[in-house]
Amino acid sequence: MTDSLPSSEAKQARASEAADRAFRWLTAAMALAVLVILGATGFSMFWGGRLAFQTFGLHFIVSTDWDAVSHQFGALIPIYGTLVTAAISLIIGVPASFGIAFTLTETAPRWLRQPLSVAVELLASIPSIIYGMWGLFVFAPFMAADIEPWLNDHLANAPVLSTLFTGPPIGIGMLTAGIILGIMIIPFISSVMWTVFNAVPPQLKESAIALGATRSEVMMKVTLPYTRNAVVGAIFLGLGRALGETMAVTFVLGNAHEFAKSLLMPGNSIAAVIANEFTEADSPIYTSSLIALGFLLFVVTFIVLAIARLFLYRLGRIEGARP
Amino acid sequence: MNEMPHTSLPPAAMNAPAKMRTRDLSFFYGAREALKSISLDFLENQITAIIGPSGCGKSTLLRALNRIYDLYPGQRAEGEILLNGENILSPGVNVAYVRRRVGMVFQKPTPFPLSIRDNITFALGHFERLSKADMADRVEEALRQAALWDEVKDILGRSALSLSGGQQQRLSIARTLAIRPQVILLDEPTSALDPLSTNKIEELLDQLVRQFTVIIVTHNLQQAARASQRTIFMYDGEVIEAGVTEEMFMAPRERRTADYISGRFG
Amino acid sequence: MNLLVLRRKLFDAVMIALSLGATAFTLFWLAWILWTTVTQGASALKLSIFTQMTPPPGSDGGLLNAFFGSFMMVVLGVVIATPIGVLAAIYLAEYKRGTRVAGVIGFVNDILLSAPSIVIGLFIYELLVLPFGHFSGYAGGVALAMIMLPIVVRSSAVALELVPPETREAALALGLPRWKVTLSVIARAARPGIITGLLLGVARISGETAPLLFTALNNQYWTANPGAPMANIPVVIFQYAMSPYDNWHALAWAGAFIVMLFVLTLGIITRVVFRQGARS
Repeated sequence: MTDSLPSSEAKQARASEAADRAFRWLTAAMALAVLVILGATGFSMFWGGRLAFQTFGLHFIVSTDWDAVSHQFGALIPIYGTLVTAAISLIIGVPASFGIAFTLTETAPRWLRQPLSVAVELLASIPSIIYGMWGLFVFAPFMAADIEPWLNDHLANAPVLSTLFTGPPIGIGMLTAGIILGIMIIPFISSVMWTVFNAVPPQLKESAIALGATRSEVMMKVTLPYTRNAVVGAIFLGLGRALGETMAVTFVLGNAHEFAKSLLMPGNSIAAVIANEFTEADSPIYTSSLIALGFLLFVVTFIVLAIARLFLYRLGRIEGARP
Repeated sequence: MNEMPHTSLPPAAMNAPAKMRTRDLSFFYGAREALKSISLDFLENQITAIIGPSGCGKSTLLRALNRIYDLYPGQRAEGEILLNGENILSPGVNVAYVRRRVGMVFQKPTPFPLSIRDNITFALGHFERLSKADMADRVEEALRQAALWDEVKDILGRSALSLSGGQQQRLSIARTLAIRPQVILLDEPTSALDPLSTNKIEELLDQLVRQFTVIIVTHNLQQAARASQRTIFMYDGEVIEAGVTEEMFMAPRERRTADYISGRFG
Repeated sequence: MNLLVLRRKLFDAVMIALSLGATAFTLFWLAWILWTTVTQGASALKLSIFTQMTPPPGSDGGLLNAFFGSFMMVVLGVVIATPIGVLAAIYLAEYKRGTRVAGVIGFVNDILLSAPSIVIGLFIYELLVLPFGHFSGYAGGVALAMIMLPIVVRSSAVALELVPPETREAALALGLPRWKVTLSVIARAARPGIITGLLLGVARISGETAPLLFTALNNQYWTANPGAPMANIPVVIFQYAMSPYDNWHALAWAGAFIVMLFVLTLGIITRVVFRQGARS
């Protein structure tokens, strides 16, 4: 046994310390890269769109112009289309997701739960371009042939609904795009929902069942209030997806720059305009306007996703506090 | 088996010099003081057992001795810990350097997700440049010291995770021995093991103490009585009594020690 | 009283029925989309798809150059995103766990996880296409890396956090430097989780289209030079599907089918790896 410490070893120990510091800095730099990417993405959008913002000012956001020849650009039509399709997607996606989560946590037989959840998650792994193709070649013709004529026949005299749901039955339009988006966001919303529904302490549910509550009552009066934050977070997560989704809607929106009240009419969305026109933009102001649209999309989705995460994290903390 | 292991030790060992000492050692988890000004000597080539009820600070003391607590930002030690007379708490000290000398074995077996052989060569290869043959010798030596060689010599390439709990714990010991530390800390090394594995490890300690200084935390009083030469009884972050094991168990000086040993609390 | 019980039972039955309906509704779309892709894709599948280049309108051809380009760019994406992502995860999980810094970076990472991929495409356009004056496979690969990075960071950090603290302490107690312990022991123990993240990432980026539209663009011809515009399956599918030509449509379906098969197969492999990870 040696008591004196050989100097070669001391040297090695010092080298190890230096390597440790270097490694720590390296990992810190890589983690910082995550922040830098987000910041740089936002800044590069802003920088690329500055010409449009300078030229049109706030008018850019409220203008419906989109004229590549006279160099007049406004974002209102794509913004409108983005919001409308996202709204339709939530109207479809949220109840469907809730139904799936309820079925998976309360009513489905145990052996069926795993395969069911895998099947729903499959929806999330299908690339969005396949949704787009399917939408263009299969779903839009189906809408045009079967759904939209029916809507025209039956809602022609209904107030409000006649404005929204009647129009040329061409299949391409905001309703079709919204429905496809709705299907796409189901797995994102429902997976969060059933995860948190499953995490509700069984004692809470059992005590309600012991009092004679039905499964629906347990869901509405125990599970849902307990998981409220996460459910809101999940919905915002789905909204964030729907707002930014590109390929699925680009195929079926119709790339129209006119304002249409009818959901059966072609429309546009921020992401779809960029996807359709970016490589064709032939003037600096055109390109800049498209990037400015990207900046708007970035800011809006950032806010929506941040809200989603805050709601989800809040749940995490509450759960952590309750053993 | 091993009723009176320390009788086999040379008498001189009973008065061995101190390998490690603490001087006014206090330890804090954030603001909570877990060790209160502890001054102790750990004698060379002896087994010192630390006993006391849960939460008394015995594991904390052990974790201070090789500065493993450094991993957690809220934890800090004050005072002095001397290894061969050198204060390992002073700012310039390299912790890796300390830990290489003061090895540690944990309560739960901690096999690395590597082969049995690589569990041992992993650290060894970092510290020493050895030829393949030398490396194989060192692996065998460490595994023999840990009384594991016969069980694993034909399966050195197999994953360490495939071993039984007792084997994994002896592998953890072998891994520590392979880098030839001076002090070995064991934190309740047998509490997760069956009686047979416990026996094996206690026998092993008896061998190890010829070469190393051993400090073992245990909640098992019989184990402390069987396996150690000196015992430290801690309570609420303080050392109540420290001395020769036999004396402490036969005639404790302190009331609380007597109560604890006779099972009145803890 | 009886009426109230009846109403409650009725409400329960309606809700269970509606939920089952919602589940069936969702599975119906899944089946429809899969069915369409499989039937259309399988009927368009020919050997020439793997041996010939993308054709001009009206003539026959294959997708070889697009497969190759996609492969190159996905590999580039993985090669860039893996080290950055794993090292960033090490910083978050090993050095800064539970701190504010880790909280903020994790939060930003989670936002990037679901950020619109078209925005990433624009960013890389500004960063790597505009300054060089031309589209390139490199730009496409980097854009895919940006998409993959947050997936790698998230799943690696989770996997690293699951490694028992005793393993870390035991390795450090041998006097080994932290970097070595982290790379050789901790990352090793977390490997199934990290690999799961990588597979998820590859599955995600191999179908990504939007970030490639204005980075890699497309190329009708064979090129192995990532410095030039590069063909890739998703953009070819996009262009061909949007075209009026039937043979292009058929190629688009074939491409979509193969991409879907690839992605779903990866999904299955991921599950197997994950289950193995859960077991050890």
